[in-house]
Amino acid sequence: MEGVLQLQSQLADYTTSLYNEKEFLDEQFTQLQQLQDESNPEFVVEVVSLFFEDSERLLNELTKALDQQSVDFKKVDAHVHQFKGSSSSIGAQRVQNACISFRNNCDQQNIEGCLESLQQVKHEYSLVKNKLETLFKLEQRLLKAGG
Amino acid sequence: MQIEQAASFPYRKPPTESTSAHFPDKNTVTEPLRDDSREKFYERYIQKREGKLREEWGSKRAEKEAKMKANEGQIFRHPIDLLQSEDEEDLSEFAKQIPIGHDRNYASIIQTMEKMIMENDLYMEDLLELSLEALGTSTTGNGSSCKGEVVVPDQFPAGLRVLVVDDDITCLKILEQMLRRCMYHVTTCSQATVALNLLREKKGCFDVVLSDVHMPDMDGFRLLELVGLEMDLPVIMMSADGSTSAVMRGISHGACDYLIKPIREEELKNIWQHVVRKKWNENKEHEHSGSLDDNDRHKRGSDDAEYASSINEGAEGFLKTQKKRRDAKEEDDGELENDDPSAAKKPRVVWSVELHQQFVSAVNQLGIDKAVPKRILELMNVPGLTRENVASHLQKFRLYLKRLSGVAQQQGGIPTSYCGPVEQNAKLGSLGRFDIQALAASGQIPPQTLAALHAELLGRPTGNLPLMRCPSNISKQFPQTVITAEDVHSGLGAWPSNALSAVGPSSNLGGLVAQSGNILTGMLHHQPQQPRQQQQQKQKQSMLQEPSRSINVQPSCLVVPSQSSASFLAGKSPAAVNQNCSFNRSSAIDYSLLSPQSNNSSSGVGQLSNGNLKMTSVLNGYAGPASISQSVSSCSMNADNGGDRQLQNSALASSAPRQLPGLAPNMCNIQGSYSTKSGQVLDQGPLRNLGFVGKGTSIPSRFAVDEPESPMSNLNYGKIYGENYGSKVKQEPSMDFIENAKVGIPILQNLSPNDLMSVFSE
Repeated sequence: MEGVLQLQSQLADYTTSLYNEKEFLDEQFTQLQQLQDESNPEFVVEVVSLFFEDSERLLNELTKALDQQSVDFKKVDAHVHQFKGSSSSIGAQRVQNACISFRNNCDQQNIEGCLESLQQVKHEYSLVKNKLETLFKLEQRLLKAGG
Repeated sequence: MQIEQAASFPYRKPPTESTSAHFPDKNTVTEPLRDDSREKFYERYIQKREGKLREEWGSKRAEKEAKMKANEGQIFRHPIDLLQSEDEEDLSEFAKQIPIGHDRNYASIIQTMEKMIMENDLYMEDLLELSLEALGTSTTGNGSSCKGEVVVPDQFPAGLRVLVVDDDITCLKILEQMLRRCMYHVTTCSQATVALNLLREKKGCFDVVLSDVHMPDMDGFRLLELVGLEMDLPVIMMSADGSTSAVMRGISHGACDYLIKPIREEELKNIWQHVVRKKWNENKEHEHSGSLDDNDRHKRGSDDAEYASSINEGAEGFLKTQKKRRDAKEEDDGELENDDPSAAKKPRVVWSVELHQQFVSAVNQLGIDKAVPKRILELMNVPGLTRENVASHLQKFRLYLKRLSGVAQQQGGIPTSYCGPVEQNAKLGSLGRFDIQALAASGQIPPQTLAALHAELLGRPTGNLPLMRCPSNISKQFPQTVITAEDVHSGLGAWPSNALSAVGPSSNLGGLVAQSGNILTGMLHHQPQQPRQQQQQKQKQSMLQEPSRSINVQPSCLVVPSQSSASFLAGKSPAAVNQNCSFNRSSAIDYSLLSPQSNNSSSGVGQLSNGNLKMTSVLNGYAGPASISQSVSSCSMNADNGGDRQLQNSALASSAPRQLPGLAPNMCNIQGSYSTKSGQVLDQGPLRNLGFVGKGTSIPSRFAVDEPESPMSNLNYGKIYGENYGSKVKQEPSMDFIENAKVGIPILQNLSPNDLMSVFSE
């Protein structure tokens, strides 16, 4: 069983890497963490879970929309816009950036570009999802170890 | 009506023997329950509600009486009865009811108090008095459920009832948590239609509405309109889309504010101001304006955070005075377009360029520190000018200088004598808001022009305003503006962003901003805190360096007769002002007073002229010498346009004092207040609020970590002006912008599109 100190430093390192090295997360995520308190001890996990749910839905919608014969760019843009909003709210910086370029493609009505962007967004999303899940696991372990 | 109620309820005044009431042990509370701020909190906030509560109670009274009759066996124990009883049980009963609680926060306290007023026909003051007295003198423990710690924060806005509408459940949850931490009472809704029904059913149950722009079942703007029409509540829009056009839409639909996602907690803390402002604007009281000196003291004395977060004497006094000064303006619902300034109780002084120049030279003569209204008045020797006029103008001027110095510090090359702390600036900004509004209200802007602008803003055909065309032009500008704003992170960058943001809302501003943007970008480069900006910045840098030369503020440029705004506007752009003096080369207003680098510069800047100052100052802030000429030309353009411009200028000026003159209210504020902080902070603040800053995420770290309030205040200023400005509270921001926009349009024409665009392009 890992020691508390070990886990703590592991967690710290991991978190730092998320922010600094790969810029997966930005300061908004810190804000979320700060919002967590005794009255709402699982706040971050809850919010992030909501985000995951919502994102899956949005990504599905996007895939469907782009799969149409004649693509409704307005709809696609609306979805991307929402995705951008929610990803920025939790601080998923790279996802947000991917959304921005996605929107540019929408503006230009560039289907190829949009498809590429969709892939990009999906990729970034799964990356950040992975990272966050790992982060939560580390936190859990730390809690269990008594940290 | 009150008499009626008084007659029906015998306990109009609590008996003085109530002091013997036993109340829960006061040792169980951590703060003395009778501290001044608490009382003031109640008095201010709740009393304002009492009127409304009484109305609502009136309709429920019959119901209650019938009910009581039906339950004849039931003994109604009035709370005051309970309090005066010696029975411990009664007292604990009372303690449970009384909201001045022990373990409750303000939110619940307010709710309980209101409930008590309504149900028991108590007067708030009685309730308050009783409770405070009882609690204050209690010595024995009691069966109350006090936990021992009063959670109530020492902040006025706690308990504000907020309704949040957003289809994004992630955001909704985050906002809910943030608002709760601001001690607000939150209700969330993911559907606009549900929210609307909720508002309709429970009228009077909410103080402010936060709504997302893009929602599947109803457009956020539509909801905004409906809420404004039906419930007349302040509505704040939110969106991840921070483009200028989007923000402009929000404003034109009457949004009190426009927040860009991701929203930070600090931004939410200040939303109460919209509620307060609205309430005050709705008050038809026409009080005589108080002593300006008091205001001065208050304004200078209070600190931004304090102001923003709590109602202190100074702020309140100031605000009250501001409100009084708006008396003329606020004839009916603040319908500027209908009101004739001449309806004001006192003659309004129009601070023309010449007058302002006189003012500034007088101030220079005396020395900024020794410049007191009386002596300035003497030096100016203008018949008909009163000491009060001078005093209020001086106040604004000081703020402007502070802003300048703040920015100057950042830039390093600008006289920093006026540098004020960020908080101060922010605070001043907020104060300035009221000033501006007051000024606007005071009719310095020709009502016709305002009306026209307003109409334009609302999309009604105005016919007479040639500048109206601008909006279309401007909208093109906006996106760029927004972009640049983001890029501008350096201290100066703040300006550009501000400018950009400022431009956003107002189409005219866009033009202006574009110009200044160029300048700003140049300036930004100069302060490479954020290596965002364009290459042009380099060129601009030189421009920035230039000391303020005479700024020929063109009359059209935001020459708002507003007294202080003009100068403030001009002065607002910190450093920039000094540098951009060359702006107004051709304008009628020759602000040669603006001397670069000396303390005089600030005064000089101030002198830029009310209208022009605003414009130029904005430009100044942003543009280096090169841009100055551009801006100058643009300014001249404005001048040519005459009347409308004037209005615009003034609008800009008035609104911008806190913020960049004319361009964006935020700009001025930002510059001033953030000069001490990194540019980004400034940018972020105002921009964010204005929605110009597209990327919330990148900014946060820089953004005003230290002074969350400041950005807010800055933004608010802009918005506030907007609010007070227009004929309707909601419309004000747009009014400002429109006016600014108008000014900007001519400028745009002068500038080559590339120049303008380059400023904004990332």
